[in-house]
Amino acid sequence: MQKHAARIAWAGVCISAGVVILHMAGSVPLWAYAAVLVLMFPVIIIGICLWWMAKGGKEDIPFIGY
Amino acid sequence: MSNLAGIPYYVLEFGDELVYFTPYTITLFLLALTFTIFVLVSRPERQVDIAFGGDAYTTKEITISEMRFRRFMAIACGLASMGAMVTGDIFNFTLFTAMVGITNVGIVAAVKSPHVQNAAFQYGLVALTATVPLFGGAAVYAAATGSLSMIELAKGTLPAVPFVAKAFLVLGVIGEGMAPFYAAKAEMFRAPGAPYVIMCSLSSLLIFLRVIEVVMLG
Amino acid sequence: MIAELVLATVFGLLLLGIHRKVIARIQRRPGPPVWQEILHMLKFSFKSTWVPATASATLFIGVVLVAIGIWTAAFFVVFTGGSLLVVFAIYMLHKIVEHGFGLSSGSPYGKFGGVRSVISAASEIPLFVSVAAIAIFTRSFTLSDIVLYQQVHGPLLFIAFPAAIAMYLVILSKMPSGPFSIVESKELVSGYKTEHFGVWRAGLEVCNGLKTTVLFSTFILVFIGQVPILWMVVGMVLLVISLSFACALTPMLSPFDSVTVQTIVTGLMLCYGTFLYVGGVA
Repeated sequence: MQKHAARIAWAGVCISAGVVILHMAGSVPLWAYAAVLVLMFPVIIIGICLWWMAKGGKEDIPFIGY
Repeated sequence: MSNLAGIPYYVLEFGDELVYFTPYTITLFLLALTFTIFVLVSRPERQVDIAFGGDAYTTKEITISEMRFRRFMAIACGLASMGAMVTGDIFNFTLFTAMVGITNVGIVAAVKSPHVQNAAFQYGLVALTATVPLFGGAAVYAAATGSLSMIELAKGTLPAVPFVAKAFLVLGVIGEGMAPFYAAKAEMFRAPGAPYVIMCSLSSLLIFLRVIEVVMLG
Repeated sequence: MIAELVLATVFGLLLLGIHRKVIARIQRRPGPPVWQEILHMLKFSFKSTWVPATASATLFIGVVLVAIGIWTAAFFVVFTGGSLLVVFAIYMLHKIVEHGFGLSSGSPYGKFGGVRSVISAASEIPLFVSVAAIAIFTRSFTLSDIVLYQQVHGPLLFIAFPAAIAMYLVILSKMPSGPFSIVESKELVSGYKTEHFGVWRAGLEVCNGLKTTVLFSTFILVFIGQVPILWMVVGMVLLVISLSFACALTPMLSPFDSVTVQTIVTGLMLCYGTFLYVGGVA
């Protein structure tokens, strides 16, 4: 899963970087630039975190008391 | 892309239905769409009940038939909210709002819990009563201005909309689940099936946010 | 804009750290260092993470993405001087995010946090009335127009003081350990965020950082006006210190009292709004 997350995070970074460059070149309007970042920022954050998180652990039931 | 009193908007030709987007409504529309997709693709959670005094717990399972019905109702609710976000017609807006009220009852109607059923019944009564001022508001809009088109109303060429029409419209929307009528809704949230139950709250919040924009026109 | 986005997140977390520090000093505890919330976010992101066995997985993960996404959108709206209505809508939709966090896991604690978030919906209405009161003066919902109005007429803080108080209370209701933070109160473990651990919690921290920066900068832009960036930072720090005093010196209200207080504020704000509208003050 972590390799998968890394790929997703990198894809997000590449798309965002591409849009930044296109926006600076003047071919992407501000609203489209902002829209892409709104979509990509959460994906990049969660992708990077899932990539560098510690391995291990398996799913469990929710916390039901001390 | 046109400009309406400083707010850019985009009219989508959709038969004789008037559909238009502003930055505000498209934000709301996209959120309704996102949560409808969540309803489509996610399975309900299993609520955990703790047996106090020990380590025991039970989980509530939702049967497939119950899940199918509730998912259908939640998707209908999402579609009605999306419609209410983008419609450019006051009457269509009230229709979508009334549909949100009905589907909200439907989302929890299949849950076999007396608390939830009771809350849904009480909410249903308030929502049904609220449709009277809601449609009444639309009728006063039509009678006073001769138009139900939001774009025509926003141009400012029509007669001014009476305050009572706007008040009726807001009252109707508030009755569909905003403060202070949301109290019954909080009880409905006991029901398992998070993706569906969230639509109840999301839809009434969205129509409330939209009606704010609607009453500012004309 | 990416650099600003990351800076805003980190700065928001720093503000929350200052918030914790000031509360601790008022209560005569040493308190954590001010950068604790940033470390917190990093710490959570390194932890081993999975989805609880009983959760609705798509919603459980999706709501974290939505939480960061909506506040990123709000940041851009404030940053580009967009419509105050959109910021207001996003603030209200944060409620749905809280429901999603609380209900998606199947945890009873999360569920109660989510249900409390529904009944405290009254806290959003003062914001609406305060936005409407501002629009009565400025005749526009656009942040850039509100800023221009203040350059001519002076800060709205003095012109529409009750609206400023209402918005201050709205921000207070979203601060951790405040009198209205019933959705994350400790008798519910951590309320709506109980089951979002590890990476999901790191995502929630990012959302909280952005939310703090966006709400504080909106408050300053709307009630004081456009100020140089340094003064903006000073203003936000002063705002967080004043909020910390409010949080440290008041107990957490019970859910019904919290709703009652917020409803009373809403009623008063409605009276103020009607007074402005009927009196034709502007």
